[in-house]
Amino acid sequence: MSVIEARRPWSDTAKAYALNAPAMIVIALLVAYPIVYSFWVSLQRNNLKRPRAKRFIGLENYRSLLTDDAFLSALRVSALFVLVVLGFTVVLALILALVLNERFRGRGLLLSLALLPWAMPGVVNGLMWRTIFDAKTGALNGLLSQLGLIDTYHAWLTSGTGAFFFTAMAQVWNTLPFSVIILLAGLSTIPSELYDAAKVDRAGAFQRFGQVALPWLLHPLLIVLILETMNAFRAFDTIYVLTGGGPGDATTTIALLDVQTVLTFTDFGLGSAYAWVITAITLLISIGYIGLLYRKGNFEV
Amino acid sequence: MTVKVPLRYRIPWKKIVLYVLAIGFALYLVLPFYWIVAMSFMHEVDAISVPPHWIPSSPTLENYLGFVNPSESQALVGGRANEETPYSLRNSLIVATCTAVLNLALATFAAYSFSRLKFKGSQVLLVLYLITRMVPGIAIIIPFYLLMRSFGLLDTYLALILSYTTFALPITIWILKDFFRSVPRELEEAARVDRCGWFRTMWSVFLPVAAPGLVAAGVFAFMTAWNEFMFALFLTSTKAAKTIPVVAANFATDFNTQFTVMAAAGVLAVVPPLLLALIFQRKLVQGMAAGSVKG
Repeated sequence: MSVIEARRPWSDTAKAYALNAPAMIVIALLVAYPIVYSFWVSLQRNNLKRPRAKRFIGLENYRSLLTDDAFLSALRVSALFVLVVLGFTVVLALILALVLNERFRGRGLLLSLALLPWAMPGVVNGLMWRTIFDAKTGALNGLLSQLGLIDTYHAWLTSGTGAFFFTAMAQVWNTLPFSVIILLAGLSTIPSELYDAAKVDRAGAFQRFGQVALPWLLHPLLIVLILETMNAFRAFDTIYVLTGGGPGDATTTIALLDVQTVLTFTDFGLGSAYAWVITAITLLISIGYIGLLYRKGNFEV
Repeated sequence: MTVKVPLRYRIPWKKIVLYVLAIGFALYLVLPFYWIVAMSFMHEVDAISVPPHWIPSSPTLENYLGFVNPSESQALVGGRANEETPYSLRNSLIVATCTAVLNLALATFAAYSFSRLKFKGSQVLLVLYLITRMVPGIAIIIPFYLLMRSFGLLDTYLALILSYTTFALPITIWILKDFFRSVPRELEEAARVDRCGWFRTMWSVFLPVAAPGLVAAGVFAFMTAWNEFMFALFLTSTKAAKTIPVVAANFATDFNTQFTVMAAAGVLAVVPPLLLALIFQRKLVQGMAAGSVKG
């Protein structure tokens, strides 16, 4: 043993950090540095179209946020978007996961189908729903009128509320699979004896769910809540393609506003300030997430 | 008091509810996608008819062929997006493949350390990786753009590959770490007894056994890169580097676009990730669950 030890000049710790070095360097250069740099830009008046006016202005960009109607509206839209998307996603994902946890013919097929929205790029998701919600030729209008539910075709995306709701629905379709998989993994850890015991006790389906499954599901449910909150909060692709933020600013979330500010108005200073607000909120949420993982002792390394 | 009904006369409510739900969900999941697939094989007249044709009455490949060889009307209407589609598919393929390879190269070492070595700060490091995964892309996009601009890397593959590597690296490490743990240690010990060096042991003993995990993690990285839109929107501007999501979005924001052509572009964009998802279904599901539930 000691001979082998002697032939290993590196301690495990040194070896581990050497192994991690490439990944750490890449992340330091491509994530840590840009984040700090972005904070620096957020303290500047920095518009590509007016390079001469570029200068350090301290927290001015942040102070302006408090009276920035576009920003406050976007924050409101984002918060509401998170709530609606989260509500629908969690309920639908829970039901679908419970269905997939049963044994029935076609289960494998349904599981494969459930991966379909997950594989779909957000942009394609957006343009897919655009053709579905279209006012003149959309599939939704066609389907509803053929079922006799509506008399005339509706322009689903022209009212603010309508656009908001249908955009949220498009987002739900796209993010559903991820939640389903996490919940399904949670369900599969429940020992089957527990179900059997509940059956012997003649517990009904709802009782079984409430008293056997739910306690085991709390942890995965919380994880779904946190991750989907983050996803919905930074949602961009689908909204950009489906409504472009309109009509008016009804679907202009904070992410959309940020991209507009930077790409259209080339205001890098203000855009960076927006980005930092998004980052701060996301970090708060992720601290909750990591705390949760630790608390449950699921964080074995 | 409920009346006891003999078992065989009982209506199987549970089964009924289960199948109704299953069919409902199946339709919900598949119908939207079916609609664009069907539309991509339709003539424009059929696609915009009221009431809609649910099945292409005279299926055509026109919309797909138009990308390579635009007819005059298509060239006029579809404009640049139409012409850029084949290039963008090539770009996406190159960028996503390189991202996957670079990710695996970087993550394998890191993941190995977490699965085999006990070292100080390993928990902190893992959490750090996790936090990087949480950082919203929008937070780093502005400095990234400015950096790439100053290095003259705008509109190149390299800019995209580098940014996608930062997205995918943390999750790749997390997935690989779990897969590596399931590889029995005895293998490496046997190799060490045979006096194989560490690199040789890794290359010819460890990695081949861990190959399924590597493939799954690579597929994850590939899909992340293939589907990404926001960075591609900022960093690319011509057909030299535009990826398929950017071109697909061009279709959507152009009011002249025919829905059928747009649908065809959408289908092309979704086929590669969809095929990968179906082929590697089990591993991907494991990976998704491992990346989140187990921490």
